[in-house]
Amino acid sequence: MTTDLLRAPAETKYAEELDWLESVDNDPRPFSWRLSPRMVRLFVLGSERADGLDRQIPQKWFGDRTFVERAIVTLASDRGLLLIGDPGTGKSWLAELLAAAISRNSTLVVQGTAGTTEDHIKYSWNVSMVIAQGQSRASMIPSPLMTAMERGAIGRFEELTRATSDVQDALISILSEKYVSVPELDEDNTVFAKPGFSVIATANSRDRGVNDLSSALKRRFNFVRIPVVTNKRNETEIVRFRTGELLRRHEIEIDLPPTLLDVLLQSFADLRAAAAAATGDDERLESALSTAEQIGVLEDAILHGQYFGEGSLRAETLAASLVGSLARRSPEDLAILNTYWHGVVEPRSRQDGGEWPAFLEGGRAALATLS
Amino acid sequence: MTGTGAPDAAGETPAAGPTRAALGPLRAALARAAEEFADGPDALAGILTGMVDDVDRALGEPLEIFPVAHHSPAAALAMVRRLREKRPAVIYLELCEDLAPLLAELGNCRLPVALQAFASDTEDHPPEWAPLSVIAPITEASAEYQAIAYARGTPGVDLVLVDRSADHVFQWLPRDVFQWLPRDGEGESGAEEDGTGHAGDSPSENGDGAALHGDAIGIEIGDLRPGFPELEAYLLHHGKVRHWSEWWDQYVEQPLTGADHLTYRQVMVLIGSLFRRLRPHDRDRLDRDEDRERYMWTRIREHLATTGTDPDRALFVCGAFHAASRVDQFGLHPADPTFEITPRTATRWRYGLIPSSHSAVEAQFGLAPGSVSIAAATWKKALTRHHLTPFALDGQAGKPSRRRSAKAAATAAAVPPATDAPPDRLSAFLAEPPVPDALDETELLGWCVDIVRLARRHRYQASTADAIAVYETSILLAGMRGRARPTPYDFADAAVTCIEKDTVPGRRSVAQLCGTLLGGDRIGQVGYGSLPPLARDVLDRLAVLGINLQARTIQRALVDLTSSPELEPASDLLWQLRLLLPPEAIRPVMGERRLGARSTQESWDLAIGRHQRQLIELGYEGVTVEQVLEQRLRRRAWADSATPADALTAVEDALLFLANPRLVEELGNRAVALLAHERTADTAPEVLRRFRRLLAHYRVTQPQPPAWCDAFAATGYAHYCTLLPAAFADEETGLGQVAAMLGFLSSMENLAVALGSDPTQLRLAVGQSHPRTPAKTALLWAVQVRLDLLTTGELRSRCADLLTNPLVLPSFPEYVSGLAQALDPVPSLAPFVVELLSTAFAELPDSTLLPWLPTLLTTLRAQAPEAMPALVREAARIFPSSLPALDAFVPPWVAEATGPPAQEGRDGARAPSAQPGATDGAAPIADLLAAHPDTCDAVGALLG
Repeated sequence: MTTDLLRAPAETKYAEELDWLESVDNDPRPFSWRLSPRMVRLFVLGSERADGLDRQIPQKWFGDRTFVERAIVTLASDRGLLLIGDPGTGKSWLAELLAAAISRNSTLVVQGTAGTTEDHIKYSWNVSMVIAQGQSRASMIPSPLMTAMERGAIGRFEELTRATSDVQDALISILSEKYVSVPELDEDNTVFAKPGFSVIATANSRDRGVNDLSSALKRRFNFVRIPVVTNKRNETEIVRFRTGELLRRHEIEIDLPPTLLDVLLQSFADLRAAAAAATGDDERLESALSTAEQIGVLEDAILHGQYFGEGSLRAETLAASLVGSLARRSPEDLAILNTYWHGVVEPRSRQDGGEWPAFLEGGRAALATLS
Repeated sequence: MTGTGAPDAAGETPAAGPTRAALGPLRAALARAAEEFADGPDALAGILTGMVDDVDRALGEPLEIFPVAHHSPAAALAMVRRLREKRPAVIYLELCEDLAPLLAELGNCRLPVALQAFASDTEDHPPEWAPLSVIAPITEASAEYQAIAYARGTPGVDLVLVDRSADHVFQWLPRDVFQWLPRDGEGESGAEEDGTGHAGDSPSENGDGAALHGDAIGIEIGDLRPGFPELEAYLLHHGKVRHWSEWWDQYVEQPLTGADHLTYRQVMVLIGSLFRRLRPHDRDRLDRDEDRERYMWTRIREHLATTGTDPDRALFVCGAFHAASRVDQFGLHPADPTFEITPRTATRWRYGLIPSSHSAVEAQFGLAPGSVSIAAATWKKALTRHHLTPFALDGQAGKPSRRRSAKAAATAAAVPPATDAPPDRLSAFLAEPPVPDALDETELLGWCVDIVRLARRHRYQASTADAIAVYETSILLAGMRGRARPTPYDFADAAVTCIEKDTVPGRRSVAQLCGTLLGGDRIGQVGYGSLPPLARDVLDRLAVLGINLQARTIQRALVDLTSSPELEPASDLLWQLRLLLPPEAIRPVMGERRLGARSTQESWDLAIGRHQRQLIELGYEGVTVEQVLEQRLRRRAWADSATPADALTAVEDALLFLANPRLVEELGNRAVALLAHERTADTAPEVLRRFRRLLAHYRVTQPQPPAWCDAFAATGYAHYCTLLPAAFADEETGLGQVAAMLGFLSSMENLAVALGSDPTQLRLAVGQSHPRTPAKTALLWAVQVRLDLLTTGELRSRCADLLTNPLVLPSFPEYVSGLAQALDPVPSLAPFVVELLSTAFAELPDSTLLPWLPTLLTTLRAQAPEAMPALVREAARIFPSSLPALDAFVPPWVAEATGPPAQEGRDGARAPSAQPGATDGAAPIADLLAAHPDTCDAVGALLG
């Protein structure tokens, strides 16, 4: 089944691994959880030799162990979990992994947008059935969250702060009373949540101030802030892991030279340092410079190399991809990149050599094209 | 010092003592395990069995070695139990031997405090290391404090410090690695190589308390930390904890808290041995540690031999790392007892106690924030749980007297030494997982309720529901981490998860509030009796202010010298301290003291209690504040990099704050000498400003300036005359410096000439000056006007030419800037500068004028105190002051240009002649020549 899907959900992709973990899990499991909290942690963070398992479980989310632990215990408690952080920090991926490990279903997702309504959170009606048969449970279309309630599973709410405040507040009763009333029905008009139900929401910290959560809703969520990864070792692991996945999805076999990966990581580290030192928005790139954006840059460069290049990844292509991805505003972003290229990349290419001279040339050409 | 002679980390181990048989099965089991895991005998087997050998060796030593770890409640508890049981007559302690006299002063202090050795001047140490400072913090929840309190409070008990002196700490430091040491702690802190520590825990992040140690080198008893970062990272990763302190608490502290003495010793030596054997081959560091061990054992043997003490009645308290030592000099009967202790250098060390804090200890030794506070809280709780009474020094703030224990000690007998091999407790300890503590519901509930209350006080919208959630989450987190009882770290994580939302509403985050709740930062204080004489003197002299000077909060002192003249000495002292202490320690809110001005009412914000360390360190420099201030002023004036301006500053400070004319004269003469040897004019503006101020002060207060002032004026006149041509030509000498030189020359000319200087020096110097830049050229023109080498009319004409020449027009603003700078040396030029500025604004094109404006403003602002008043006064005189007058206003220079040729200007200068080329000075000559044409006709005929 996995091969038929452009992107399989985590529970499908890691189905065999989850089955095996379930079979060896002897620890107590809360509610209807498919795995114990320790096994969930192990599934997300990977196993060590000291865990005493017969097989190696690969690490799937790279970050501080404490965040994962806090997220898991929140889901075992009475409160919902809100993962908050900059774009591209792996919030949604962590939410998906947790939902997959706990309830073997990570697809019960509501996407928060400006157009999200209360119906998307609770239920709506199949109009033709209502006309034909009247309002009944059969003609009701439960939202993914209501489905999660009925099954005792984990429901997900992506980009919670993109939804308007009144829509967000529809979650309050779901998280507090753990049931949804259906006043249109005369009987069987309450949908109760089964044990194991909880909500993982994600919110982009850059959206703060757009649709702030009400105090009542904040109280019902435990917040876990996911920071941008700045540890070079962790970031290398993440980029390798995610890029490997993408390449497999595209069925591309291409070498990823470690020196080029270093160039990419170093460039992002430099640009982050510059953004941190900037005093105004005009002096920092619009991009959040997250790990996800690094992966995007690398993926673009690989695809370009595969289909329009010589089947290999070259420094020039990487530089062009980086410039193309990060130059969003003209002239602000272009000016910053121009300064970076001449003030940092140029001296470094003279000093360090290696891939940097080619990277310098590629970037110059890309900047010249965009200017 | 002898060679190291230590066996290799994983190599051959020395023969074990006679007690080896007891640990035989463990050794065999470890060898088997090594063989199994490493697929054959290799280094692993050597390390594992070597660790058992180390334990064997340490425990077989006739002198009982008590291994400790720093800030370890388990070690402190074990120490209390052992001291009560054994009642040793002599305690040898791993602490710098020269700090011993300070231990008697601990009774006057509130812990934590730090013992300090301080040397402001270095002898035989690199001068760039100065000042040298070594501190050894003492906290209450530590084994060493228990040993000190027992020994000090028990008659007949001798406490002997056996570690190398503070001087040896620096003697043994590699010369090239000192730069980073003060930040990361001393060699044994473990942070020096791995750089992990907790570098982010800067003092600013940890609040005031974290900076209490300054940049001293820290010494700790019993630092136990993995020798390289990979090992620590591995342990943290597999222990599923974040900090080393947390790992230590979970895997060592908790299992050992209730352990018996033998188990405690064996386990601690085993851990010490593990970290000793698993460390990089850094010979420097290893040599230093091993030399310390040789030093300590040499001192112990010397003491035993001198006093004839029975080793059975003695106890050696040292870090577990050193307990597992394998140097040849180890023990009372070593294989090789020779070790030569090098003499101390001639460095003059001062000793004292300074306040410390939990956060300062954490910052100094790279511990997790809050870990020392948590250890202190654990210690108190464990005392209650195990029904133990700790030792405390008599008279210590907040401590009851412990006479009872002293009496008991006098009658107690030593525990007879064990003759049989000590039983193996390690096998059981290593084979079984530690029994987890049961959930302490009351404690956890208390924490949960308190954190919510605390959070509410800090503007979090926390409620009882949050307390419940924190409770539940703590238990869930602890369960996931494999423990029944949530540790403070689990609790803090749970509190952050449940209470912290997207923003921190107040000044403190939930994590910081948890730190406060779980003990908070505790800041020690040195009692009055233990302060150095200077600090006591300061407190005594400021007592008349009637405020609490020991308080850590800012105290406001109001000094009305009119109604309370008796406060004048205190006021003087505060001004002196303001120079010596950090600005935030002594801050005048109202009142000033400068030459010619002295307030009669002053208001001060004093934070002396918070800056007790700095006050104590002042005490190392002298006995009174006046003495220290005098030394500092001398040091400033005689420093290698001292400039005449520095010396003049010292003169001014001496005049203001010290009634010492002899010192003032000495400093003044030093300023003259410095000026005579100065080769550049870099400090000319500062010299001019300060010397003018001093001269004005003397002219008002004394019949005539002191001799050094005359000498300074004469020397300066000659010096700046000599430098002037080069300064005009040199591109690196700024306009301000040249203007200041000219200012000095013009304002001191009369005085210098009266003292015998030759005024033609200045004329010659001006004649030799050939500036290359427009601004300096204008400055030269100005000084030529001052010396009557150029008339105002000629100057006006030159400036007019500049405005009519399109090639030089862009540089016209620079000429104006130069003339503006010349207002100080040539104040009579003010009307002309006003005229020129007006002309510039009227005639310069916008493209030239606008970019120049910021430069003009900054130039004028820089010389606001000196030149601006004259310029503004002149402008006020020229320009109309009322609106109606503005319509009819014609600038005087315009009126002069269009009026009769001989009309006098308002500034007294004659207007330019209507005839082109004629100037003020040339008119009489022209008249003369016209009256007597013969000479001119003859010259004309001669020239054809």
